[in-house]
Amino acid sequence: MEVSVIFPTKNREQFVKRAVRTAFKAKNVSEVIVVDGGSQDKTLEVAEREGAKAIVQSRLSYPGKGIAMRDGAYLATGDVLVYLDIDIKNMTPDFVEKLAEPVIEGEADFVKGCFERAAGRVTELVAKPLLRMFYPELARFKQPLSGEIAGVRKLFYKVEFEQGWGVDVGLLIDLHKLGARVVERDIGYKDHDMKPLHALTDMAYEVAGAILRRAIRDQKTDPQWAEKYLRGVRTIDLGLESGGGFV
Amino acid sequence: MRTLIIGGGHSAYFAANAIKEIDPEGKLIMIEFTTEKVNVLSKTFPFAEVILQEIDGVEEYIKNNGSILDAVVAATESDSLNLRYCKVAKESAIPLTISILNNPLNREIFLKEGITYIIDPYSVIPVELSEILGSPMNIIYKSPKNRILITSIRLSEEKLLQKLRKELSRSLEISAIFVSQSGEITNTFRDIDLGGRAYLIGAQEKLEKILKMVKR
Repeated sequence: MEVSVIFPTKNREQFVKRAVRTAFKAKNVSEVIVVDGGSQDKTLEVAEREGAKAIVQSRLSYPGKGIAMRDGAYLATGDVLVYLDIDIKNMTPDFVEKLAEPVIEGEADFVKGCFERAAGRVTELVAKPLLRMFYPELARFKQPLSGEIAGVRKLFYKVEFEQGWGVDVGLLIDLHKLGARVVERDIGYKDHDMKPLHALTDMAYEVAGAILRRAIRDQKTDPQWAEKYLRGVRTIDLGLESGGGFV
Repeated sequence: MRTLIIGGGHSAYFAANAIKEIDPEGKLIMIEFTTEKVNVLSKTFPFAEVILQEIDGVEEYIKNNGSILDAVVAATESDSLNLRYCKVAKESAIPLTISILNNPLNREIFLKEGITYIIDPYSVIPVELSEILGSPMNIIYKSPKNRILITSIRLSEEKLLQKLRKELSRSLEISAIFVSQSGEITNTFRDIDLGGRAYLIGAQEKLEKILKMVKR
């Protein structure tokens, strides 16, 4: 089975060389894809020089992580996709192999990576409580927002990617709903810069929006209740004005 | 002509209407990935054959039908898919492979992959803005096939007018039309006043040389 490693990124020139080289060293990796969010630096240039397939994500609206992930899946040709953050300072080929292994071995269709680090604030304060309310069967995941994931490529074509930060939890819920075998795999210690608190506000809104939209879609909550509950938080688009549609 | 459009979004909509107008007797095939969009496309474009296909299945379709297709227009909402499909179309020796970009920043990547016919729907934005905002020099149009350039220059100084006159008198391959400040259109320098605008059309290479000379 061939593995495609995908790095959604923006302005991370200094990490690209090492990340691409490390990914190519992992077992079964046939291609590395860098999806750029419109960098001002040489992210794309370095990626191409290191032999990665490079493309700029189809939409540049901020934050667009989900669009970058979708475009990576669409460009990939491997049987298994592995997504990693490009700025993991202690990245080794082991990260890729640990994530891909359960899929290659036929034990899982979708793997969520979990790692040792201080608890993520959006994870603990937003994602986990909402998952416990609406999708208790997924509350067991230690890192439901982890961007370190792997899965069967064709499975990613069957779900809609959230455009922004809600993409990771959205994929978890949707692939679970699709009947995919989802497991969590410990990938060890991840040395990674943590975002300052103020930078987490938008992320928290988008994660909450992604979970609530699905809860409404899956009839786990009343759309009117959700709107009342979230009154004032205008940045969460529940699609209520367009008839409760799923974005 | 037998044309395949891939995608069912905004770009595909405009591409289908344009192709119907350009080649009313031709055969148009549209491929989409979702049942909902296939149903909408079938109703919107009754003259087209609309096919539901999985993402990977499109490549197979192109390979299997390569010998009978004259043109492929990749117009999905993802540049990754457009690039994938264009590469397969080229490998299948389809005479015309055209991609409609979602993000203009991907132009160079497509060119490197040998995709030469790239439509960038956003390219009109800087052109029209600079025309409206009165930029002194504008590239209005570059033809993808014949390397033809259309440009406009605001005749803001006597020196520039003289330079342009000199260059144009030496280059017979460049055609010019002048619009005076009051809006009169003429094809001779004689009647043009300062503040008017010159519109030039010609071979890209030659016209770019003239623009360089005039800019100095």
